[in-house]
Amino acid sequence: MRKFLLVFLTLLLAVGIFAQKLGGKLVIAMETEPVGLDPHLVTAFASHRVLENVYDGLLRYGENLQLVPNIAEEFQVIDPYTIVFKIRENVKFHDGTPLTVEDVLFSFERILNPDTKSPAAAFYQDVESIKAIGDNRIEFKLKKPMASALLPNFAGVNSSIVSKKFVESGKNLQLETNGTGPFYLAEYVPGNYIVLKKNPHYFVKNQPYLDEIRIVFMPEEVSRVSALKNGDVDIAKINEPLNVKQFPEGRFKIYRSPVLSYYLIGINTKRKPFDDPQVRNALNYAINREAIIKTVAFGEGVVTGPLSPMVQPWALLPKDFDEYTYNPTKAKQLLAQAGYPNGFEFEIVTSQRYNFDKVAQVIQAQLAEVGVRAKINLVEWGIFIKRWRESDFDAFISMNSGSIEPDIQFYRTFHSKGSTNVFLYSNPRVDELLELGRSTVDTAKRKEIYDELQRLLVKESPIIFLYSANQIFVSNASVEGFKLLPNESLIFLRETYKK
Amino acid sequence: MSFAYLLRRILTSIPTVLFVVFVVFIVIHLVPGDVVDMMLGTQNYLTKEQIEQLYKQYGLDKPLIVQFGVWLKNLFTLNFGTSLRTGRRVIDLIFDRFPVTLELSVLSMFFATVIGIPLGIVAAIKKNSFVDGLVRVIGLIGLSSPSFWVGAILIVIFSGTFKGFNIFGYVHLREDFLRNLQVMFLPSLTLGLMLSAQIMRMTRSSMLDVLQQEYIRTAKAKGVSYSQLIAKHALKNALIPIVTLSGIQLGYLLAGTIVIENMFALPGLGRLLLQAVNERDYPVIQFVVMFIAMLIVVLNILIDFVYTLIDPRVELR
Repeated sequence: MRKFLLVFLTLLLAVGIFAQKLGGKLVIAMETEPVGLDPHLVTAFASHRVLENVYDGLLRYGENLQLVPNIAEEFQVIDPYTIVFKIRENVKFHDGTPLTVEDVLFSFERILNPDTKSPAAAFYQDVESIKAIGDNRIEFKLKKPMASALLPNFAGVNSSIVSKKFVESGKNLQLETNGTGPFYLAEYVPGNYIVLKKNPHYFVKNQPYLDEIRIVFMPEEVSRVSALKNGDVDIAKINEPLNVKQFPEGRFKIYRSPVLSYYLIGINTKRKPFDDPQVRNALNYAINREAIIKTVAFGEGVVTGPLSPMVQPWALLPKDFDEYTYNPTKAKQLLAQAGYPNGFEFEIVTSQRYNFDKVAQVIQAQLAEVGVRAKINLVEWGIFIKRWRESDFDAFISMNSGSIEPDIQFYRTFHSKGSTNVFLYSNPRVDELLELGRSTVDTAKRKEIYDELQRLLVKESPIIFLYSANQIFVSNASVEGFKLLPNESLIFLRETYKK
Repeated sequence: MSFAYLLRRILTSIPTVLFVVFVVFIVIHLVPGDVVDMMLGTQNYLTKEQIEQLYKQYGLDKPLIVQFGVWLKNLFTLNFGTSLRTGRRVIDLIFDRFPVTLELSVLSMFFATVIGIPLGIVAAIKKNSFVDGLVRVIGLIGLSSPSFWVGAILIVIFSGTFKGFNIFGYVHLREDFLRNLQVMFLPSLTLGLMLSAQIMRMTRSSMLDVLQQEYIRTAKAKGVSYSQLIAKHALKNALIPIVTLSGIQLGYLLAGTIVIENMFALPGLGRLLLQAVNERDYPVIQFVVMFIAMLIVVLNILIDFVYTLIDPRVELR
C-alpha cells in the first residue's frame, strides 16, 4: 500500500510539473515588424522570426545548430548526388487539411519557378530533379555532388512547405498564412502587434507549451527596456549591452549568445591601392579587433575569422591567423613594402544601422596610427544598398549573415562569379577550392580544403572579418525554457512557458 | 461661409495638393536605392532577368513622368494602390493608422491648450512679476527640449513609479477604452507639453497687446468685473493668433509625429510613412503624402471658419 502511495504521489508530482508547463500567454517585444508573410519570398529578419514558428521546413535546426528531422521524419544522403526525405505522416496544416507529398513537391516547384522570384531558388539551382517515390518519400537528384552542402538550406524559412490547395485557391501568401508549425497566425495589426496561437494539430506531442504569443513592435530601445521593467511585456530584445545593467538578476533573466552574423570591412579589390593584396593584408595588422568589441559592444562579442569560431569542425580560430595579432609596426612595414610608406587615403561607406558608424570610427582611429586616413561617409540604408550592389565604394562596413555550412558562407561571397561578390574579388585558387569543397564528401578532406581557403581569405582579405556581437534578450523571472540560437532564430519559443 | 466659397477653396487647393504629391514623387524616386534594391538588400539572389522583370511588374521601367501619370489615372478611378512590400491595400493602411494619429493629435492639442492658455493669461496679467518670469522660463525650457528627450524622461519616471499603469500596448478605443486612454496619456502629454510652451507665449503676447487697447480701459471704466474683463473682453479678442498657431500645430501633429509614435510604439501615420520611405514603398508614400496634404487643406478651411465664430467682423467670401 505504501509503495502504491509512493508511486501515486510521484505520478501526481510528475503530472503537476508537466501541467505547469502547459499554457500561458507570452508578450515579446521586438524592434522591427515583418515585411510580408510569404515564406518563399521574405528576406526581412523580422518576417523570418515570425514565420519560422508558423511554417515548417523538411528539416530544422536543433539546439546546437545540428540538423534535425522536421516535416521529413528521416533524411538520407544516399550518395553525394542524391538526398531522400521520408515525409512524416499525420501532419496537418493550420486549416486542418493533411500535408502530403504533393504539397512538398508543390512547395519546391513554387520556389524554383522563376516567376515566384524566391531567394531560395538560388540555393537549389544545382538540383537536377525532385520526384516522389511512393507516397511518402521525396528524392532530390543533384547536378553536382554537393548533398551535404545543400542540406542546411532545407531548414530555412525560405524552404517552408506550403499547402498546394491553399495557394492554388488564389490566396495571397503575403497576407495570409497556412503552415504546419507550432503556432498559427491569429491576428496581425500592422505597426502594432502579431498574435500567434497554439496549433492544436501540431505534430510534436504536447508542444507548443504556450497558448499564445503576442509579438509587439517597439522600434525604440528605451521603450522596450521600460516596457519590460513596467511588466507590459515578458521578454524583449536588447541591443545596447549597457542597458542590461538596468535589470537586476533574480527579478529578470538575461539570455545571451554569440551569433553567426559578423561585422566586416568589405574592400573593392579593383580600386587602388586595394588592388594590391599586400595592402589589404597590411590593414589586418593595423586593426585591433578586441578594442572594437570593447568600445562598440562593451565586450559583448567574439573575434571571428572567415567562419565563426562556433562553426566546428570547420572554423579556424582567430589565434590560427598571424594577421589577427595587433601589430601596427608590421602594418607600417608591409605598407612601405607595397609602396605606401606614408599611408594613403580612402573612403569607408557605411550607414547608421547596428552601430556600423561606431565601428567605422574606431577603425578610422586605428588606421590613422599607421598613417592610413579613412574618410567615413555615412549614408542612408537605401543609398548604401545601391552603392553596395554597384560596387561603388573603396571600402564599406556592414554585417553579413553567417552559416554553419562553409559552402553557403563562402561560395556566393568569394567565388569570382559569386552573387554577392561585390568586392570584385577573383582568385583562381579560391574558385578551385570553392568548387572542390562543394563537391567533396569526405569530411577530413573537406576540412583541409576549407582550412586552406580560410587562410587564403585572411591573407588576401577581400573582406576583413571583424567580430560577431552577442545577441541579448531579457525576460522577467516567470519565463522558462527560452533559448537563443546562434543563427538568431526563435524556434525555441515552442518550448517556452510561463511559471 | 457660403457653399460657393467652400467649393472655390476646395477647387483652388487641388493644384496645391497635386504639386506637393508631384514634388514628393520626384524626390523619392531620385533618392538612390529603389524598392527592388530594398527588397533584395545585401543578398543578390535574383538573376538580371528576374530583376528586370520586377521593375517591369512594378512599372518602374517607365519614365518618371509616365509613372506619375499612371498613378494619377489610377487615383481618378479610385484605385489607390497596394503596398509593394506587404501586399496590403494602401487605403486599408490609412484607415488603420489615421485614427491613432487623429486621437494622439486631439489629445495633444487638449493638453497644449489646457496648459498653455491659462499660463499665458496669468503671465500677461502679472506682467514682469515673479510668476511671469517663472512661466516664461518654463516656456523657454519647453520650447528647447526635444520631444524624444521629454518622452524618454516621462517613460522612465512612469515605468518605475506607477505599477499597473499601461504605458505601452496600444488598443483601439472601441476595444478597451480605459487602456487606450492610459496608453495615449504619456505620448499626448509629451507633445502637449512641448506645444503648450508656444501657445503660452503666444497667449501672453496677444493678451498683453489686447490689454492695452482702449476698449479694455472703457470696459474697466464701465465697471465690468475683473474676471469678465479677462475672459470676455480680452481673451476672446486675443484668440485669433492663438487659433492660427494651434491650427498650424494640429496640422503638424496630424502629419504624424514620427519620433513620438516610434518611442511609444503607436501604430500611427508617421510610423507608416517612415517605414514606407525606408522601404521605398512608392504607392504608400504617395498616397500618405497626398492624404496629409488634403488634411492640411481641410484644416486651413476649418480654421478660417473658426475665425468667423470668434470675430463676427471676419467674413468668408
